Amino acid sequence: MSAPAAEAVPTPGSTDVTFSVRNLWKIFGRNADNIIGTELERADRDRIKDETGCTVAVRDVSFDVRPGETFVVMGLSGSGKSTLIRCLTRLIEPTSGSVTLDGEDIGDATEQRLRELRRHKMAMVFQHFGLLPHRRIIDNVAYGLEVRGMPRAERYERAQEMIEMVGLAGYERSRPGELSGGMQQRVGLARALAVDPQVLLFDEPFSALDPLIRRDMQNEVIRLQQELNKTSVFITHDLQEALKLGDRIAIMRDGELVQVGTPEEVVGRPVNSYVADFTSDVARTTVLTARWLVRDAYPDERTDGPTTEPGTVLAEVLPMLAASTAPVRVVEGDTLLGYVGRDDVLRAIAEDQLEGAEQVDAMVEEAVEEISDDAVDHGGADATGNGG
Amino acid sequence: MATVTEPAGATDSGTRGAGGDEGLLRRSWFQALLVVVVLVVGYQLTRLAGSPPWASGFPGAIGNGFMAWLDGVYAWIVANRNDSPLFLYFFNYISVGLGSAVVLINQFLNGLTWLGVTVIGVVASWRVAGWRVALLVLATFAVFALTGLWNESMTTLSLIITSVFIALLFGIPLGILAGRSEGFYRAIRPVLDFMQIMPAFAYLLPFVLLFGIGNASAAVVTAVYALPPVVRITALGIREVNKGAIEAAASLGSTPGQILTKVQLPLAKRTILLGVNQTIMLAVSMVVIASVIGAGGLGDAIYQALSKINVGQAFQAGLAIVMLAIAMDRVTGAVGHGAHTPRIEPRYRMPLLGGMLAVAVAAAAVGRLFGLGGWPRDLSIRLDIPVNAADKAIESAIGPAAAALGSWTQSWILGPLDNLLSGSPWWLVTLAAAAFGLIFAGKRVALVSALCFLAIGLLGVWDNAMDTLSQVLVATVVTIALGVVVGVLMSRSDVFALVLRPVLDFMQTLPPFVYLIPAVALLGLGPVPALAAAVIFALPPVIRLVNDGIRGVPAGTVEAATSQGSTKWQLLTKVELPMARGSLLLAVNQGIILVLSMVVMGALVGAGALGNDVVLGLAQNELGLGIASGLAIVSLGLFLDRVTQGRRAPRA
Repeated sequence: MSAPAAEAVPTPGSTDVTFSVRNLWKIFGRNADNIIGTELERADRDRIKDETGCTVAVRDVSFDVRPGETFVVMGLSGSGKSTLIRCLTRLIEPTSGSVTLDGEDIGDATEQRLRELRRHKMAMVFQHFGLLPHRRIIDNVAYGLEVRGMPRAERYERAQEMIEMVGLAGYERSRPGELSGGMQQRVGLARALAVDPQVLLFDEPFSALDPLIRRDMQNEVIRLQQELNKTSVFITHDLQEALKLGDRIAIMRDGELVQVGTPEEVVGRPVNSYVADFTSDVARTTVLTARWLVRDAYPDERTDGPTTEPGTVLAEVLPMLAASTAPVRVVEGDTLLGYVGRDDVLRAIAEDQLEGAEQVDAMVEEAVEEISDDAVDHGGADATGNGG
Repeated sequence: MATVTEPAGATDSGTRGAGGDEGLLRRSWFQALLVVVVLVVGYQLTRLAGSPPWASGFPGAIGNGFMAWLDGVYAWIVANRNDSPLFLYFFNYISVGLGSAVVLINQFLNGLTWLGVTVIGVVASWRVAGWRVALLVLATFAVFALTGLWNESMTTLSLIITSVFIALLFGIPLGILAGRSEGFYRAIRPVLDFMQIMPAFAYLLPFVLLFGIGNASAAVVTAVYALPPVVRITALGIREVNKGAIEAAASLGSTPGQILTKVQLPLAKRTILLGVNQTIMLAVSMVVIASVIGAGGLGDAIYQALSKINVGQAFQAGLAIVMLAIAMDRVTGAVGHGAHTPRIEPRYRMPLLGGMLAVAVAAAAVGRLFGLGGWPRDLSIRLDIPVNAADKAIESAIGPAAAALGSWTQSWILGPLDNLLSGSPWWLVTLAAAAFGLIFAGKRVALVSALCFLAIGLLGVWDNAMDTLSQVLVATVVTIALGVVVGVLMSRSDVFALVLRPVLDFMQTLPPFVYLIPAVALLGLGPVPALAAAVIFALPPVIRLVNDGIRGVPAGTVEAATSQGSTKWQLLTKVELPMARGSLLLAVNQGIILVLSMVVMGALVGAGALGNDVVLGLAQNELGLGIASGLAIVSLGLFLDRVTQGRRAPRA
């Protein structure tokens, strides 16, 4: 557990961090304070539940969110991810640990200060929207501005902008009940954006939507991220969604962070069988990029193959390899990073099919024994793997 | 008595089967039967022994002392009402203030003249509830006028306005507090539960002690009686507000005050209005009962007419109060659900309101210009004469039969049961009560039951309490039997249910006092008309619960039982009724509480017993007796409620 946490924490002294979470715990139940610091702290959830009646929702979680980044927390239901995001804005009081936003400790904030932070710096989008059914759409969107005390004309103007931005122009005077789920969540998004927050917190915002609508909304979020460049923390139980939206992904299980990394790292190098299991349904060729497989040229290899960007996913590298027998050259700007050959891509696909690198390694070794071929460099991919 | 407890007992056996089915002794209906047998044997032995002093009714010395002390307190209050600072600076202020409030509102209504009141009432009810309800309101005012009871109606209306205002003034803030604070909610819930099982009659006398006889007492007692629903339902409404909406509002930095005013209250508005509606309906029923402690108006008209056995006059006043109750219910109900409220564009709302105000002012001005006041009495239609004639005809037609039924019930059912209860040694009856508590609801209730009976004895009203108890038991058996039959029929036939439902709605809107009028008209005076009124009064909720319980059985279960070849009768007795057990138990519980509240009110038509002591206590200035009887009624209510609640958790 300490390994992935360490991976998530950047070098000390780095100030380029929006959210910084350190050793965060949330335990529900009486006497929750008496568990942390005792030997029971290391016990598994069921034992703690049996002995104290308390439920551990978040267990010693640490991570940093960088400015402009979309940080996705993914886990199954009951893994504590919704509790975690609520601890960030203290909708749920953490049991222990610290959360700092731009260097300010949120745990120490007074009620007054906390409200200020919520009114100006962070806004949340909820799974079940949390709209106020008795208010018109424009009044829902303007709510955050209203509670800050912004005059009516001003807040309506701002709310109108937001409504247009999420594509709901014309619905200002409707009530939430008259809108479809997808449209309601657009209202939730507009409401969060209206206060111009520095950080957006998404709590499984699209889980309650139909798959097609969900895809639209995901694209909408990507578009808004590109336009507005907000920092986001995004909770989801959907791996595809996490891979699509996340700059980095934290995988959570039983209240702990199991692995934190880029989509490629999570898919290409799962830290344990739990994560591997989780990612086994993902088509690697759509996640892994040329950068992930790039290696130096073999001694007598052709070096005149087609060129590509390091960010190209393997699915798009495949046609190039099919067209030429030479390995693809990976070029970033003017620099040649290295090569990706047919065998590298095949190997990545094989891992996908067989669900696990060890299995592939074993089979490859067998194959090598039978056919004495060109040297197959096992370590190649691992050695040059580059985690964004 | 065994039959009373059988339905509840039989259904209870399901929970105690853990020890294996070792025979009859484990079944609660059999245990209950044993208790009854012991009681009967004890009674016979006592009689054989010539009622020795150790086996008689409860010794009266303590109770008499208590009553004498209360009389002393009352005498002291009467003597010191204008000297003691507590009264001078507190109770008297409230008393005078409320008295004047009622008078002021009454004068205001009179100042508007009948024309002004009618126009305002009709226009306002059209605005909030649509034209149908406006017509109903118009009809209500017409009844007030044409029965010659305009002034009485305005007095009743003033009393209702005053007491509802007090009830809401305290009730809504209490409800909000209970909605937001779990601790406060837990603290007041038992109090509210208790207030709701307390029969209306038991509320009356303590308020006379503090505020004297008259409208002030009536307003306070009505407000207190009507308080529980608005507190409870407001709390419920606040607590039911979508947690997601509250969380979202909090995440945007709302203060607790902003969450209350911008999220919780607007979202709970409909629910709170439902509570207001219920509070108003309770106020309407109590304001009539409060005529016993000197409230004027329609209730007083019924009270006077009943005491003169003038059925015709009682009918007129009853009709007026029924119309008032229905109109109040429809208007306030419509405000709650808003289904019939006319849709009016926001920009026309202010002009419309202005127009309505102008019409109202104009109507009042015209009324004053022509020197109108209340509707002139000589323009009324004397309904009482034909009604009295009809009553005479009915009496001569079924009078002998009714009398025979009355004396038969008295000598074969009520009398023996009363003899059994008041003729047995008091400790045996108390033990029997505790045994019932133990059988149906466990140790705690056994203790509560014993304490209730002990309290009744110590209050010095044992005999009358046993009389009331036997009346309650008989009426409850009839109510449950009828209720189950009608409820089952209602669940069988959608057409019947469609017809019956509005009738039940109507019956549940009526103030309980009104039920006494037809009972007297048909059955004369005595306990039997009181029991009949109690049965009719308690039936609607029982029927409804039985029907809902049976209809609530999952269709899949019924289908499965049918697929295995059950006959309809088997389906009913083996699947539907057992599965509706929760509803049936609730029906018994509610039925018995409603019966009790009506049976004590039956004193007004000659049912005697505890209710009569309350009335007597007032009439003859024996407040001690009245208050002791009121407390005994409360004890009986507590006993009956707890035992029939069974092992269920207390109501949420």
